[in-house]
Amino acid sequence: MLELALSHRFPSRASAFRLDIALASRGPALGIFGASGSGKTTLLHAIAGLFRPEEGRIAVGDRVVFARPGGVFVPPERRRLALVTQDALLFPHRSVRGNLAFAPGADARLDSPAGRRILEVLRIEPLLERRIEHLSGGERQRVAIGRALLADPSLLLLDEPTSALDAELSRDVLGLLMQVKQTLGVPMVFVTHRAAELLALADDCVVLEAGRVVAQGLPVEVLQRPRALGLASLVGVDNLLRVPVVAHDETGGVSLLDLGAGITLAAPLCDVPIGRAIEIGFYADEVLICLEKPAGISARNALACVVDSIDRLGHEVLVGLRVGATAIRARITPAAARELELATGRPVVALVKTSAIHRLDGEPT
Amino acid sequence: MTPDAQWPVILLSIRVAVGAVAVSLVPGIAAGWLLARWQHPLRALVQGLVMLPLVLPPVVTGYLLLHLLGRSRPFGQLWHVWTGGHLAYTTTACVIAAAVVGFPLLVEAIRLSMVAVDPRLEQVSRSLGRGPVDTFLRVTLPLSLPGVASGAVLAFARALGEFGATIVLAGNVAGETRTIPVAVYTLLNVRDGEAAATRLVLVSVALSLAALLVSFWLSARKRSA
Repeated sequence: MLELALSHRFPSRASAFRLDIALASRGPALGIFGASGSGKTTLLHAIAGLFRPEEGRIAVGDRVVFARPGGVFVPPERRRLALVTQDALLFPHRSVRGNLAFAPGADARLDSPAGRRILEVLRIEPLLERRIEHLSGGERQRVAIGRALLADPSLLLLDEPTSALDAELSRDVLGLLMQVKQTLGVPMVFVTHRAAELLALADDCVVLEAGRVVAQGLPVEVLQRPRALGLASLVGVDNLLRVPVVAHDETGGVSLLDLGAGITLAAPLCDVPIGRAIEIGFYADEVLICLEKPAGISARNALACVVDSIDRLGHEVLVGLRVGATAIRARITPAAARELELATGRPVVALVKTSAIHRLDGEPT
Repeated sequence: MTPDAQWPVILLSIRVAVGAVAVSLVPGIAAGWLLARWQHPLRALVQGLVMLPLVLPPVVTGYLLLHLLGRSRPFGQLWHVWTGGHLAYTTTACVIAAAVVGFPLLVEAIRLSMVAVDPRLEQVSRSLGRGPVDTFLRVTLPLSLPGVASGAVLAFARALGEFGATIVLAGNVAGETRTIPVAVYTLLNVRDGEAAATRLVLVSVALSLAALLVSFWLSARKRSA
């Protein structure tokens, strides 16, 4: 799907930054993972033709779109790679329909069965005649994805498509992208700094650090050895677990997962046979810490745990918790950490809503 | 000049100002785009040249133009070969003089509104399959239209008031090059001309103020959009 080698020196950045990347992916969804400043967006722009590296070769499918030396440069408009950015970047002087019909041929495609299908998957039919300024953030991003798909790209380029959205909306957009991949079959390259997105969407991933590829492979494999990669701070913001199912409670709408030492985690009901392990994830922001088990609470999971580590990262505190045989992380404010007088070894209770837990291995929960 | 010959003067002035804006609009958009998007050391020099008429005494601008376009000068002779006529001391010369002095105002307004267009919108347009010209016509230009309009109105107002370059390049030919400012100057030098001059002055103030108000309204709309 994509084969690429490029190098470029940025002498003007505060510290001279060198991008030196080689990767190959069969797709259909390649995730590019890394912290901000690692060169993810520059890489995506090089693929799109919006940035010309000093040296390199980029092939999309079997078509070489860039080679230097070699003098090949296919301009962005002839690469058939539609770009979706973090803040949707809809054209403010056009309506939703005007944005969707922007690409050459998109107007006719909009009324074709394939176009109708795109609108249906992205739920943008009701928005068609709306003006851009009357759309919410999630709606804007849906329209931006639709606009890109209606350009009939051979590859969709997504630059942190969910990071400008709040947690709930970003899960919604992530779900849509999974459907785009599965039901519309559009290959994609996407940039993210969220491990959960990588697990949910990518078949193949590349981890960038300071302009270099430091890991490449299946997302699950790459993310399971984060410490070896120096990615702890990146991966650590999310909780990624591979745990066996021990019971289903159909009337209660939950499946119980084994965290070891007899402690179970209530996740949304799934149809995986008992005894089989599934991959789940939840954001560290979704974990609440209490000193005692509260009474009369809707959250299904009140897990007795012990504080394992406390890391201050700027204006937030990442608390490592040991529950049964499993480690999870909670992100809280320094004020909360102070008020709770958190210290390593202290027993606390971690609250996790069932609906905050997402399956990451295929079917959305 | 007789006091009742004022309507032709006003109409000539408006014709000259409209003509000046019309001929400078396309070059103005091109220059505004170039100065907004072109990253090159020579950009400052080009910008300086474009802005020069704003700070030069208009008489000097007129003199320089006369040097280029006069009957015995290269461009003047070229024009004579093409059209059989002359440029200097004609209505066309008035239009040229007004266009040159109004050009910096037009370009600056366009440049500012194009700088405000997010270049990432242009990148997205390119990636969606629209080439550079298409992207300019479908994204950059429509988004900077309020600036183009307010620049055009400012240039129109400046053209209405043009005197120095006009008197040097186009002279004071009744019905041909006698615009409102030239007529006011002429009337002030004849006996009993003051009343007619005052009427022209009032018309001039009204037209200029109206143009400025339209320009303010346009740029306020641009900000709120």
